Amino acid sequence: MNNRLSFFVPIQSPLHALNPLTKLALVFAMIALAFFSFPWLAPGLVIPIFIAGLVGKVQNQYFFVVTRLILPTVAFMFIMQSLFLPLGDVTIFAFWIFDVTRESLQAAFITVSRIFVMVSSFTLLLLTTHPSELMTDLTRRGLPPQFAYVIISTLQIIPQMQAKAQTIIAAQSSRGLDTQSTFAKRVGALVPLVGPMVFGSLVEVEERAIAIEARGFTSTRVKTSLKDVPDSRFDQILRWGILVIVILAIISRLWLS
Amino acid sequence: MEIISQNVVYFAVVIAIMALLFVWAYFTKRIQKDFSTMTWVLTPVAIAINLTIGQIVLVLKLPVYLDSIGTVLVGVICGPWAGALTGALSNIIAGIILDPGWFPWFPVAAAIGATAGAMANIGFFKNWWKVVVTGFVIAVVATVVGTPINIAVFGGISASGSSIITAFLLETGRSLLSSVLTTNFIAEPIDKIATSLLAFAILDGLSARYLARFPRGENAAIEKGQQVTQVIIALVVVVLLILFAIFILPMLTAQ
Repeated sequence: MNNRLSFFVPIQSPLHALNPLTKLALVFAMIALAFFSFPWLAPGLVIPIFIAGLVGKVQNQYFFVVTRLILPTVAFMFIMQSLFLPLGDVTIFAFWIFDVTRESLQAAFITVSRIFVMVSSFTLLLLTTHPSELMTDLTRRGLPPQFAYVIISTLQIIPQMQAKAQTIIAAQSSRGLDTQSTFAKRVGALVPLVGPMVFGSLVEVEERAIAIEARGFTSTRVKTSLKDVPDSRFDQILRWGILVIVILAIISRLWLS
Repeated sequence: MEIISQNVVYFAVVIAIMALLFVWAYFTKRIQKDFSTMTWVLTPVAIAINLTIGQIVLVLKLPVYLDSIGTVLVGVICGPWAGALTGALSNIIAGIILDPGWFPWFPVAAAIGATAGAMANIGFFKNWWKVVVTGFVIAVVATVVGTPINIAVFGGISASGSSIITAFLLETGRSLLSSVLTTNFIAEPIDKIATSLLAFAILDGLSARYLARFPRGENAAIEKGQQVTQVIIALVVVVLLILFAIFILPMLTAQ
């Protein structure tokens, strides 16, 4: 499991300063344009994403995520799809049982660009927005606070569980459990490792429920927030602009085809 | 994309039915009853269990995912709506901390939790063979929900290992839809039955007093009081399924 718990990069930039909802709207706009607008638009959307990465001053981290996470997936999909999709007759080249046609190459290219745009825009959102900031803003706009609790608290529980796993591994090894040798032994060691971790976390649930109940978790009053998330005039105009562009793009696609 | 545009009407009908079901359950207070404080607190723990066990299994390179044990757990003891929410949020959180490629699969995870809850409500989580049936039903539902997503978003061949089976089936001249469906029917049942049995084993290890604090804790009560044998059978079946996936599946698909 990874050590970092979110992609967030804590620096100052125009993209970091945008309201979280605006960034979320931008992400969904990119996905809507890539999937429901003209197919040839999807590869072109990569350019605004790169520009956004530069504006947000996260190009290094973004490039790292692209090379480590996105490119291997996308490259594998592109090769498999261009080899195996049963489309078209115009064979570009063929060997053994495989034949690559123009149509399958096109289909593979468009699918892969769509995936790239989708994953990239989410990555940029996560690089420039802290999850709790996004949750604070969405809660203020009417998302039930319980959803925010679930997401934020999961992000806190996972490192606790990892620490607990380390403790359990140390405890069981000191009792002579073999966690280093052959595959079969390591799989066998899984039960005494995972068991205490799962049951331990589940038993804590009851205590935590009492604790947050005592702090007014189920209260229906409007709660105040310690942190104020700014929402400028520019953000509001940008959000309406995005909505109009997406609707126009989808309507023109439906109208022209 | 042709397949999607042909079936757009069916999708609209399915979504409309889901929305009506939600409105009905909301206004008859069925949803609110299932979301007690215990449910809200169990959800993050269940998501953490999903992700932690999923990552361990991934590291061990076992031929299953086992990344929805927590989702099934919540579905059984807190009802289908809570299960669906846990599944959906689980994928969203995996998208936040692991890889944004998890986001598009959230309807599948939600369907898994909802199915587990619905099956448990009609009493199909009370002994080991009923849990196997539940696991199979979950696999069928996950396949039906996952196949359109796989085709619409990933063009039928995604980056998972089982895509190789899809590619093989395409090469034998089947259509894209039938290839993706067949692949999922081969890969899903083993994973989902093992997941359900493990969730069953975990529930069995929890005390009745603890389970009674949850909205539908009685769903997990075992019949006939033969607890020890039930759990041993469940764990043996899990081991057999995983061995089957390691040794038999490669032979079947290599032909």
